[in-house]
Amino acid sequence: MRALLMRTIAKLRNLWLSHRADDELEREIALHVALLEEEYQRRGLSEEAARTAARRALGGIEQARQAHRDQRSILWLEQTRQDLRHACRTFARNPGFAMLAVVTLALGIGVNTTLFTAYDAVALKPLPVADAARVVRMERWFVHGWLGDMQYGFSWPEYLYCREHQGVFSDVVAASSPVRVLAVVSGSGGQTQPKTLEGQLVSGNYFRSFGVDAGLGRTFGPDEDRAPGADPVVVLSYAFWQREFHGDSHVIGKLVKLNGAPYSVIGVAPQEFTGTSLLPRVPDFWAPASMQAQLVRGQDWLHQPADYRFQILARLKPEVGLKRAEAETAALIRQFSASYVTREPTRTVTLEHTAFFGNTEDPRFEASVAALMLIVAMVLFVACANVANMLLARGAVRQREISVRLALGASRSRVIRQLITESVLLSLMGGVAGLALSVGATRLLRVAVTQMLTAQLGSDFVFSLNLNPDARVLAYALVLSVVAGVVFGLSPALQFSKPELATSIRDESTSFGHRLRRSRLRSLLIGGQVAISMLLLTCSGLLVRGLMKSQNADPGFDTRQVFLLLGDYGDNAATSLARFHRLFDRLQDVSEVASVSYGRGPMMGTWAPPMRIGEPGSAEGVEQGKTLASYASRDYLKTLGIALLRGRDFTRQETTSGAQVAIVSEAAARRFWPGEDALGKHFQLDLKFTGKLTDFEVVGIAQDVRFTTLTRIDPAHVYLAPDPAQTYPILINVGANQQAALPAVWKAVNQVDADLLPDLSLWNVETMLVHPQRTLARVMAIFAVLLALLALSLAGVGIYGVMAYVVSQRTQEIGIRMALGARASDVLRSVALRGLTPVAAGMAIGLACGAAASAVLHSTLSFAGSADFLYGVRFYDPWTFAGISCFLVVVSLLASLVPAVRAVRVDPMIALRYE
Amino acid sequence: MPIPILQGTLDLMILRTLATLGPRHAYAIATRLEQVSDELLKVNQGTLYPALVRLEQNGWIKGTWGKTESNREAKYYAVTKAGLRAMEEETQRWRQLAGVVEKLLTEEP
Repeated sequence: MRALLMRTIAKLRNLWLSHRADDELEREIALHVALLEEEYQRRGLSEEAARTAARRALGGIEQARQAHRDQRSILWLEQTRQDLRHACRTFARNPGFAMLAVVTLALGIGVNTTLFTAYDAVALKPLPVADAARVVRMERWFVHGWLGDMQYGFSWPEYLYCREHQGVFSDVVAASSPVRVLAVVSGSGGQTQPKTLEGQLVSGNYFRSFGVDAGLGRTFGPDEDRAPGADPVVVLSYAFWQREFHGDSHVIGKLVKLNGAPYSVIGVAPQEFTGTSLLPRVPDFWAPASMQAQLVRGQDWLHQPADYRFQILARLKPEVGLKRAEAETAALIRQFSASYVTREPTRTVTLEHTAFFGNTEDPRFEASVAALMLIVAMVLFVACANVANMLLARGAVRQREISVRLALGASRSRVIRQLITESVLLSLMGGVAGLALSVGATRLLRVAVTQMLTAQLGSDFVFSLNLNPDARVLAYALVLSVVAGVVFGLSPALQFSKPELATSIRDESTSFGHRLRRSRLRSLLIGGQVAISMLLLTCSGLLVRGLMKSQNADPGFDTRQVFLLLGDYGDNAATSLARFHRLFDRLQDVSEVASVSYGRGPMMGTWAPPMRIGEPGSAEGVEQGKTLASYASRDYLKTLGIALLRGRDFTRQETTSGAQVAIVSEAAARRFWPGEDALGKHFQLDLKFTGKLTDFEVVGIAQDVRFTTLTRIDPAHVYLAPDPAQTYPILINVGANQQAALPAVWKAVNQVDADLLPDLSLWNVETMLVHPQRTLARVMAIFAVLLALLALSLAGVGIYGVMAYVVSQRTQEIGIRMALGARASDVLRSVALRGLTPVAAGMAIGLACGAAASAVLHSTLSFAGSADFLYGVRFYDPWTFAGISCFLVVVSLLASLVPAVRAVRVDPMIALRYE
Repeated sequence: MPIPILQGTLDLMILRTLATLGPRHAYAIATRLEQVSDELLKVNQGTLYPALVRLEQNGWIKGTWGKTESNREAKYYAVTKAGLRAMEEETQRWRQLAGVVEKLLTEEP
């Protein structure tokens, strides 16, 4: 045992001291020869004969040396080292090839790693808390099956109940959804203009339980959430502290005014703690939940059992498994929900390992991630195919070297290993470059996203996602590189090492037959590359056409002059309704605005209740997703500038009483009552998805507009008189004089209900709702074009490389043809045609895939609410398909003709002497 | 006609040679083995030098550079303590094996 150990150590040492051992052996053998010579001379041989005899007796010195080498070190390691050294020498001799291959792979791996970095940050990285693996987030599942971030909402009483009665967690923590407050911060700037800040209300144990110590000052004590209104203290986020206080360490103890009341700063969170919010935004501050009534005026989050405002995070006890904790939590929440009545009963509760985003286990999210991964994987495949092709094309040079090695007795597996080592080395270099590329790209992405969101939200936005590469990203890039290296290296390695010595030691270009099989592999690779480029190009072509349409897509109604006033009026039904109507009535009197109404905001998501056409009575024929619906008050259409084509608007009385009347869009009228007059017709909606139908009578027909999404004209839309029990966004058309109207609106709010101010936000429909959609179209198109161009340029390089090689192999043949009097154009045609066959095949396959992808995309449009990212471009859009095909043909013609023209220009005599 | 060296026996022979004669260089070991075997054993360099490396890596022998009588540079190998122990074990094993073979060969049919 000990001997084995010592030997291993010695062998490992020899890996680095190989030259010394070689040197010693050299000296020993020299002595050996010398002594043998002496011996032979003693026996009477001449000096000359003795030397020859000695050498002969000693046997093959080279073999002895090799055996010695094999013996003294770990064979495979030693061989790998040799292979690596050999590979480096090969690359150094041909740096152009190595560079091209590394850059190609770096692009492919870089794109993949970037996407994975984003996915990692969103779904895999744990929250920035101590021992994050044991921290779970509670997620509720509604009986009605609603999905989304609201699944993470729990009420404060639920939280308290859980915390008191559970036995599976060491800590249970609550953190509210973001709250907005008006603040006066007297930082070092000394300015007193109130600004809107976003913070989180948290339980007192929030920081302690997460093991997060204050970067400065202290965090909350566990009792600082007990007595309502008793703890006017805040902990600032690092980013906020830097921004407002420029990192001033004297901030502790200072007062900030939130909603008019002073709060003292007790601490600053450490830089790495970016919050536990489901939204990728770092809060500006944290305050104890007990301050809710002060920070969110007019609302009571702490006592309503069905007011789901907090997410609950918990730390599992060391000995408790996830399953047991889940069962207990679900039972507790069920027990608790038996104590009150709610419209949205909870079916069960699950625990989810924490990541920055919620719902990352949602199959829809996973499917879109998988689709993206597939797309970028295709780019990597193109890159791999390219490098494989380059390796194959270099075969002519390598083949002789390899044949010699095989002839000298190297085993095939040894040669394959060496070739694979070469390609893995290449791809590792590509991986390192790709990783660097991806780090850069991610930085850029982060800056771009932050800027975009800041511009969009109009406030200081700190992006909380940590996009730095972690071990997972490194491992991903490494695995990707090694796999890529093996993938593109294997087939050339198998090809080259075929033991057909006789043919290959001779000059390869003379053996016409031998070449065929390999060229078939090349054609396959080219075809695959072209197919993928074609697919990516088609998709991006369609998206670009969509982009062009999106930039001047007209919503059909007034977006620039219309503002939405969104408010949170509190959760007491009676008072919130009273506040809403008081505000609305006051706004109607503001003379500076052109028109005021209320109802569902345009471009703010879809609502498509199940629908039935016809006279009421039957429950048959209810269909999902047939129409979009919105509540609209009197003057709603006027405020938005949507023309009422026939019929009448709702009356004031209908607006406030919840009359069962509706105005339908032109398209809806055509679709549901083809060839008939829609006025006076009836339809029923299942408004709350409960199976209970409500009947509506059509009283008007409105012009078709892009109401729900800029991407398409609503296939059908019904505007319903509002439900008097709800509050809605208030729509304000400010008319031409925006400068005068907006201050007048704020003044009116201030007069009627000043407490509302922090809970109100005013959104311009154009800048806040329409513009982002145009931006999204632009971003998607740019992303797609970049990917497609990447794939195309890689494919172009690949086609060019292979054609250049094939033509160079045929230089002799071309020379003979030219010498025999063939016309240059005929030769060119024959060369180009041969080069284009795999391109054509690849294009056909790519087109078919593109059409299939496009058909899938369009099939989603049957649902009335789904967005059309192509902005109405037909899926067989002839311009896109024809344009892309022409483009690709030109690229591949160029790639194959350039080397062919060069070959034709060669003097036939030179070509003939080429051998 | 020289006989081939049985697998695994060269190590033992080298150890034994060095243990009886004291430190020797590779040539001397080879000559000694040939002499002892009356030229029946031909020690190939392709097996001798790897064997010496193996033994040295096992820590059973140790090589030091010195001068021969004719003032040539040579690497002298000497058995270490671990080498002596290993030799004892190997000898034991060889004797057992040889005994078994002998017994089988001399057994009356």
